[in-house]
Amino acid sequence: MRTKQRVPLTVFAALAIVVAACGSTPAASPSQATASPTVAAASPTPAGPAKATPGQAVKMMLLPKFLGILPFAQANKGAQDASTELKNPTAFAFVGPTADNSVQGQIEFMTNASTQGYKVVMISNNAGDQIAPAATAAQAAGVKVVAWDSPIPSAKGENLFVAQVDFDQTGKVMADMALTLMGADGGKFAILSASPDAANQNAWIKALNDALKDPKYAKLQLVDTVYGNDQSEKSYTQAQALVAKYPDLKVIMAPTTVGIAAAAKAMQDGNLCNKVKVSGLGLPSEMVSYTLNGCAPQFALWSFVDLGYLTYYTSYLLATGAIKGVEGEQFVGGRLGTFTITKDPTRSAGLRVLMGGFKIYDKSNVEAEAK
Amino acid sequence: MTTLAVPGYLNPQNQINLLELSVEKAIVALVLAFVIVSGEIDLSIASVMGLAAVLLAWLGQRGAPFEVAIVAALLAGALCGLFNGYWVAIVGLPSLAVTLAGLIAYRGVALLLVEDRSIGGFPEWFNRLGQQPLVGPFPLALLILAAFLVIATVLLQFSGFGRYVYVVGSNREVARFSGVRVTRVKLAVFAMSGVVSAFAGVLLAARLGAVRGSTAEGFELDIVTMVLLGGVSIFGGSGSMAGVILSILVILNLRNGLALANATGNTQAGVIGALLILSVLVPNLVAAARSRPRRGRPAAAAAGQSPPVAE
Repeated sequence: MRTKQRVPLTVFAALAIVVAACGSTPAASPSQATASPTVAAASPTPAGPAKATPGQAVKMMLLPKFLGILPFAQANKGAQDASTELKNPTAFAFVGPTADNSVQGQIEFMTNASTQGYKVVMISNNAGDQIAPAATAAQAAGVKVVAWDSPIPSAKGENLFVAQVDFDQTGKVMADMALTLMGADGGKFAILSASPDAANQNAWIKALNDALKDPKYAKLQLVDTVYGNDQSEKSYTQAQALVAKYPDLKVIMAPTTVGIAAAAKAMQDGNLCNKVKVSGLGLPSEMVSYTLNGCAPQFALWSFVDLGYLTYYTSYLLATGAIKGVEGEQFVGGRLGTFTITKDPTRSAGLRVLMGGFKIYDKSNVEAEAK
Repeated sequence: MTTLAVPGYLNPQNQINLLELSVEKAIVALVLAFVIVSGEIDLSIASVMGLAAVLLAWLGQRGAPFEVAIVAALLAGALCGLFNGYWVAIVGLPSLAVTLAGLIAYRGVALLLVEDRSIGGFPEWFNRLGQQPLVGPFPLALLILAAFLVIATVLLQFSGFGRYVYVVGSNREVARFSGVRVTRVKLAVFAMSGVVSAFAGVLLAARLGAVRGSTAEGFELDIVTMVLLGGVSIFGGSGSMAGVILSILVILNLRNGLALANATGNTQAGVIGALLILSVLVPNLVAAARSRPRRGRPAAAAAGQSPPVAE
């Protein structure tokens, strides 16, 4: 009987190879796999900021934490804009794992990148330092690793980080919003974060804790930090659990677009909006109803479209050799203006390109932005 | 054909990459084959991997010498395996229920130890072993996998212990009356499963350089798939190590080919799922087709080794 089992197995082996062949797309033809980073001659004199030379073929991968939520789709749109503007003949791949396989999936994409002939991986890192070995190996194979949205905490395996906002400032913005919502008397509030490995979330939470040391916020009491893993359902139940655990909770601060919307819905569904306010980082289009009905009177964000755009621009410049990715370099990031590569103040080993500041939303401006 | 569609697929480094990305699962699949051939199942493997990895990091963080932490992690794996084995082999509870409880409980302990944090900062030598090539282009984990392939094959197909495992799996009563110590064989198989899973968890920690409570979560289904697709009957008593090894190679190459072609994770899971269904269906259809011309009714005895499709 044992020998009998082997016959079908060979059938599967053959079948497997056929399926693998069918599943492939022509996007990965060998001619496109080779970009030519021989453009240094076209870059301007060392004095002025570096400018991109459009029309060069650079195969790039845009790797979000996972697929399927609006901010990453917006970043993809921004990258598309930049790709069109720079006339890159090779379309970039917008790929990513599923939310529940984010860490393993990102490591796999990073590991396969050099085999696939990518010259740049643009990653919003959700794997903490677990991505670092794969990223370092990718760099050794000639791939540039540009982080955006969420960096590699140790900066190992990372060329540059395109930061949406100053991470320390995020802490102050959240502390200010909490203070506004709770008033001068202060009170208890809690954080509803995304996943515990998200470097951006952790940096912001730390920045918030640092900001709270300012006597101005002395009456704000941070009682707990919980994780909803950027899944609506889990964030929703975590928000409910917070209210049950701390009956006198006044604010839930969620520095994640999934978390803030889920928490606002949980408070609305539970008729708790008079007691508990929700704030944090949210998308106007998802938050508009909660802002108008008073569940989430105030929140903040930056433009993910711009972030995708600047990330693509930076990566293109890096891959074509127009910039080297060292401290002090200046470059023109298309319609967003001139940027400088600096040390990342929140990560001693990292280099950062800082995009810009926050926009605070409330009922006066949320409707206009949501459209 | 895959070569034509995806350049770089046959590149030696890619073959090493695809093995390295799943080497821990492959190692556990080899030992799970013993459990399934013996007529049982161990669903707690991935949770034991996670627990071992977390315990290692937790002890390391508290200043324990790292070698001691590794031994402690392996011991914890052995304990988990023996605990499963006690309820299954000695008390006689169904392994599906026992190890399902283990899946939840061991994961729970791991989550209690580290909560929602991620622990890294392992010693340099440990990370280097996990992440750098050791001999030529091969990292340590792949060399260990190669060694395990040989050991597992010899142990299952060419040793007295291996024959006991088959006998216990095909008919427990016959085994007992033939003087096979059924309890002891089953305990040994579960203990092996625990230790090897813990070892794989340690390797995973070294490769990733950081662990968290959810490390290796969900791996059990991938690993069970590797074994079943390799022709090992879920009812025990049949299957071969060669089949499992082939199945590991097929699954990893298939996933890699699909990944290189930018197929999404969901597509990959779908294709593997379809293969698994076929792997159960085709042998049954073949067996049914063979038996039909000779007799009027299905020769259940002749096709006894193949699991019924309805299951």
